[in-house]
Amino acid sequence: MNSKLATPLPASDLLGRQLALRLDETLPTLPHPVRERLRAARVRAVALRASTAVQTAHAAQVQGGGLLAGLWGEHIWWARFAATGLLAALALSLVGVDAWQDDLRTRELAEVDAQLLIDELPPAAYADPGFVQFIKHNTQALR
Amino acid sequence: MASPQELSDFLKSAELKAFKRTVWQVRADDAALDIVQDSMMKLAEHYGHKPVAELPLIFARILANATMDWFRQRQRDQAVFVDTPPRQADDEAIEWHELVANTDDQHDMADPMLRQVRAQTAQAIEAEVEKLSPRQREAFLLRYWEDLSVAETATAMGVTEGSVKVHCFRAVQTLAQALSALRP
Repeated sequence: MNSKLATPLPASDLLGRQLALRLDETLPTLPHPVRERLRAARVRAVALRASTAVQTAHAAQVQGGGLLAGLWGEHIWWARFAATGLLAALALSLVGVDAWQDDLRTRELAEVDAQLLIDELPPAAYADPGFVQFIKHNTQALR
Repeated sequence: MASPQELSDFLKSAELKAFKRTVWQVRADDAALDIVQDSMMKLAEHYGHKPVAELPLIFARILANATMDWFRQRQRDQAVFVDTPPRQADDEAIEWHELVANTDDQHDMADPMLRQVRAQTAQAIEAEVEKLSPRQREAFLLRYWEDLSVAETATAMGVTEGSVKVHCFRAVQTLAQALSALRP
């Protein structure tokens, strides 16, 4: 608003401002009840502004930190969603660990089978009672 | 963003002028007080978060709208918002400019005679402002008393800038003519 004062005002504008300035002198003559009602209205308006500002700040606070604080409050659905997600993640982890252990056991058995198959001794020899006696006898003889 | 204190300061500086402007429009103290009070509440509730610099224009618009609403409720729009015929420019305007400007000295205020003259001048101006057409008066008061720019006045009144200039010029000429006629 002050920028308009930078340029010279036309005579009409200058006169208009000076006439309007004189109107300021009529303001103190307003009746006391009128001034009091205006003051009361101003106080009410400012109080409304203050309460609106507090409500806005409260709303921002609830939106910002409400996820932690509102487990039993306004954000119960978010809390439930988060808890369900955690449980699902835990179950998936358990399934993963179980599958990994199965795979490890299978690989160990496969390794044993492979060793048996590539050995010169046929696997059926281990099931022969005579072969077992032969092994024991040779072992004692070596001692 | 205006704090409650800044809003209070603004309203304190604007409330008396707002009341006078509204009284000149609606011609009833109680109605004017209600309109100003409602405007204050609307400003605080809906525009209190705006920067302080924007409050004068916003408040002027709210007040103008509230006044219009009041007139609509009374169904007197056509009767009130009819402009007076344009008047011719008057050479004596500059003489009034000089008279008004010359009474601006603090030293003069110490003189009871000059103080009385100033008070009479102010009352005469007020009486003549009251006689202006609503559009001219609104433009004159927003532009010169509330110190809004032409563009801001046009926005507040919902008219073009050219219309504001015409209303202001005619208002000043009308006041100058009327006040010159009152000179002894």
